[in-house]
Amino acid sequence: MARDLAPLVDTLAEIVGPRHVRTALPERVTYAKDGLPTHRRVPGVVVLPGSRDEVIAVVRLLGALGMPFVPRGAGTGLSGGALADGDAVLIVLTRLNRILKIDARNRLAVVEPGVVNVRLSVAAAPHGLQYTPDPSSQTACTIGGNVAENAGGPHCLKYGVTATHVLALEVALADGRVVELGSPGGEPWGPDLVGLFVGSEGNFGVATRITVRLLPVARAVRTLLADFTSLRTAGEAVSAVIASGIVPAALEMMDQSCIQAVEDSVYAAGYPRDAAAVLLAELDGAHEAAVAADAETIQAVLRAHGARSVLVAADAQQREKLWLGRKKAFGAMGRLSRDLVVQDAVVPRSTLPDVLETIARIAAEYGLTVSNVFHAGDGNLHPNISFDGRTPGLRERVEAASAEIMATCIAAGGTITGEHGIGLDKLRYMPLLFDGDSLAAMRAVRHVWDPEERVNPGKVVPVHACREWSGLRMGRAPNPGAQSAIRNPQSAIDRKATAR
Amino acid sequence: MTDRGGFAALDPCVHCGFCLQACPTFLATGDEADSPRGRIELMRAIEAGELAPDDPALALHLDRCLGCRGCEPVCPSGVGYGRGLAAARALITSRRGVPPLARAALAALTGAGVSRVVYALTRALRATGIPRWLAGWGRVRFAMGMLAATRPAKGGGGRRRLGEVGGGASRSNLPPPPPTSPVLLFRGCVMEGLFSHVHDATIRTLEVNGYAVREVPDQVCCGALHEHAGLESDARRLARLNVAAFGDGDEPIVVNSAGCGAMLKEYGHLLHPDAGGFASRVKDVTELLAARGPRPGAPVDATVAYDPPCHLLHAQRIAEPPETVLRAIPVLRLVKTPDAAQCCGSAGLFTLIEPAMSRAVLAPKLETLAEARPQVVATGNPGCLMQLGAGLAAAGIPAVARHPVELLDESYAAAGYYA
Ligand SMILES: Cc1cc2nc3c(=O)[nH]c(=O)nc-3n(C[C@H](O)[C@H](O)[C@H](O)COP(=O)(O)OP(=O)(O)OC[C@H]3O[C@@H](n4cnc5c(N)ncnc54)[C@H](O)[C@@H]3O)c2cc1C
Ligand code: SF4
Ligand code: SF4
Repeated sequence: MARDLAPLVDTLAEIVGPRHVRTALPERVTYAKDGLPTHRRVPGVVVLPGSRDEVIAVVRLLGALGMPFVPRGAGTGLSGGALADGDAVLIVLTRLNRILKIDARNRLAVVEPGVVNVRLSVAAAPHGLQYTPDPSSQTACTIGGNVAENAGGPHCLKYGVTATHVLALEVALADGRVVELGSPGGEPWGPDLVGLFVGSEGNFGVATRITVRLLPVARAVRTLLADFTSLRTAGEAVSAVIASGIVPAALEMMDQSCIQAVEDSVYAAGYPRDAAAVLLAELDGAHEAAVAADAETIQAVLRAHGARSVLVAADAQQREKLWLGRKKAFGAMGRLSRDLVVQDAVVPRSTLPDVLETIARIAAEYGLTVSNVFHAGDGNLHPNISFDGRTPGLRERVEAASAEIMATCIAAGGTITGEHGIGLDKLRYMPLLFDGDSLAAMRAVRHVWDPEERVNPGKVVPVHACREWSGLRMGRAPNPGAQSAIRNPQSAIDRKATAR
Repeated sequence: MTDRGGFAALDPCVHCGFCLQACPTFLATGDEADSPRGRIELMRAIEAGELAPDDPALALHLDRCLGCRGCEPVCPSGVGYGRGLAAARALITSRRGVPPLARAALAALTGAGVSRVVYALTRALRATGIPRWLAGWGRVRFAMGMLAATRPAKGGGGRRRLGEVGGGASRSNLPPPPPTSPVLLFRGCVMEGLFSHVHDATIRTLEVNGYAVREVPDQVCCGALHEHAGLESDARRLARLNVAAFGDGDEPIVVNSAGCGAMLKEYGHLLHPDAGGFASRVKDVTELLAARGPRPGAPVDATVAYDPPCHLLHAQRIAEPPETVLRAIPVLRLVKTPDAAQCCGSAGLFTLIEPAMSRAVLAPKLETLAEARPQVVATGNPGCLMQLGAGLAAAGIPAVARHPVELLDESYAAAGYYA
């Protein structure tokens, strides 16, 4: 911790209690990474508020001091989004884990941001309801993090990603003002501000209270596992399924190397180890007969498009096993090698077979192991590169291969993230996709929420690539009084108060 | 290969976070430094020499780890958290020594001469009935509750006690006993000092199921508490003595303490190749009983919540056998609480050394138990029996903590097996 931060720490401790301010190096080091551990930043101070009011008080204090800060949920993000530098405060929201309300009649829930995704579905289950967006990380990640990343999940193919399910938000802005966005009954008028906030990657403020839609748990479900002897055929089958006109609840693909990792783990699901790829498809709905008929159709389509066999889950237990294997696949990759980076890109579905082949070729050229596990129905790819970071020069090779994979996806008409966000990791790809004016426009939108760029600074928009950047850099004076304020935080608050 | 010891078992961690919600200390504080993933970062840092093992801010969070290994079975990558922790704790202890309180507790509970006196005194105190009166929250009162929880149920060994339905099977209509096979009993220190009635029940119930239980002289403490305290060489010394005491026959070694069982099964890693055979002979008492059915006893009219000890469920991955044992008791109603698989906060010396965290971990469990309203909480480990017993008493929940074989023993007594 920088010495300058000491007085700030005392004031933070007054707000949240001394036990919930972390300043020692070993403690801060545990917050240096998220789910993509190739990025590492040790935060200056870590603070764990225990209530909405404490969050707001902390944000207000930091606003008064002009200090940068970063909100963090469970730290399962896959783009380095929840990392803070040594001059910034990390606000960890895991203690805000209360489900404030489940309104079964109106099918909505109000939660604090640190509620773990799956816990909401568990709490809603007695009402026959669920929180539908189901990122594979759902047993760990927070709903606040889901909102910030606009998280997707296997079942978002049919039901839509997080944005579709958020009705209203309470947000603490950079300076500690609290605003309400949206309404439980739906957006009342004008622009969709909730939609604007969802996916903002912690750049627009801290979500302190979240109202989400709950949906009924499907009454009829069929889960199919189709296996293929070539990756290309599996890719082609994806388009065929979608072309059938039936929208599966989920359509996921895993390749052979991913199958091996899962089958070696405690989550072994019974995927055929000799398959080049498997597709996991789920059909659901309210009527048994209709879902059964859809499942028949999809089975036939899969067979006609090269599936070696199609297995239908016999019961709920087998279905759960098939899904657990899929959802824990990323976590199982540690079995392949010591280090792992996962990429996230979306390509037009029709290009899947070609793109998968190109990725395999790039992997071979760079001598790397790439495993694929992804939301095939959306064309949302997740190539995972396994490597041993201790081998000299290998990290650079992995970076180069990643860049080439990204370029391939963009060339195929795709984009550089489907659900993991830009964070730190994808900053360098932004200029490949957007010109300076577009990036400047994004930045201007951010300034509406956070004019000083203090919330999660340095993420998402690569500042140097913005058209107006050079001008801004020269024009922007360092925040006056920030230095003295750090030494005497209380005086800064007083000054702000009198200024108002 | 350079010998990195237990640290190598941490290599597969990819920082995914799937273990966070399985960790009782993370659930209690929400702090990454109190999570498996955060602790793995710390352990990696001390192995790499980036952080000092005796840095108090680092040691604090590794000390606060229960060693419950709830993080292992959920990890898709198969990270060997427990092995890493043992290596890290050994490194920490080599730098800063064992904290005085832990050292005193170790000597009192496991020291060859001292412990005999300590146990005799505590048994005398227990017999006065005073600890039961004093049981409550607060350091001393909780310890009294723990002691009270070690008291054998009223009525003494092998006789009828708990809500018996009466009658039951009579000896004449019982099937003949299966062939007699020899097993060796591991007695341990806390089990021997405070739970000798559980040993008695173990011997009786095993015999009903065709096992002939033999005593083994010269056996010593398993060394688990030493290993938790980072005293690896002491643990190794005890392990060698036990390996010698139990000889190289092939009779199963029966253990009724999950913590000791987990440790004995680790001897292969602790002593390297020479103890692999020993480890594979170690069996939890419920494993042996379940392998024979076990034979049903007389009905016991009681509601029982089974609470698996972490060192049985997570470390030894034994889930079914204890429930099979309890299901051999007719009428007995087995209830499941949603957080049964989570640690109770006992964790060896942890409850004495880290009382605040220990109680914080226990609290949610007591809440669900208060809701489930069992008469008995069954668990197969001395630490858990004491922790849960003390917690139930302090929270005023009208239930007692008992070892599963004690319940089977009662059911057998009522059935007339011992008449
Ligand atoms: C194994 C694994 C599988 C995954 N599968 C999927 C998947 O299927 N789909 C998917 O979309 N993602 C997936 N992810 C990525 C990740 O889980 C999601 O991005 C998730 O939404 C992150 O939530 P978190 O609580 O961990 O947030 P964090 O990682 O802590 O933070 C992520 C971002 O959100 C911001 N943030 C957090 N809380 C708030 C708040 N209250 N207000 C404002 N900003 C906030 C942070 O500043 C940061 O920028 C996966 C990750 C892993 C490790
Ligand atoms: S220990 Fe396992 S579950 Fe936990 S973060 Fe590491 S890989 Fe994931
Ligand atoms: S052993 Fe238990 S307390 Fe320690 S990190 Fe693992 S789950 Fe948490």
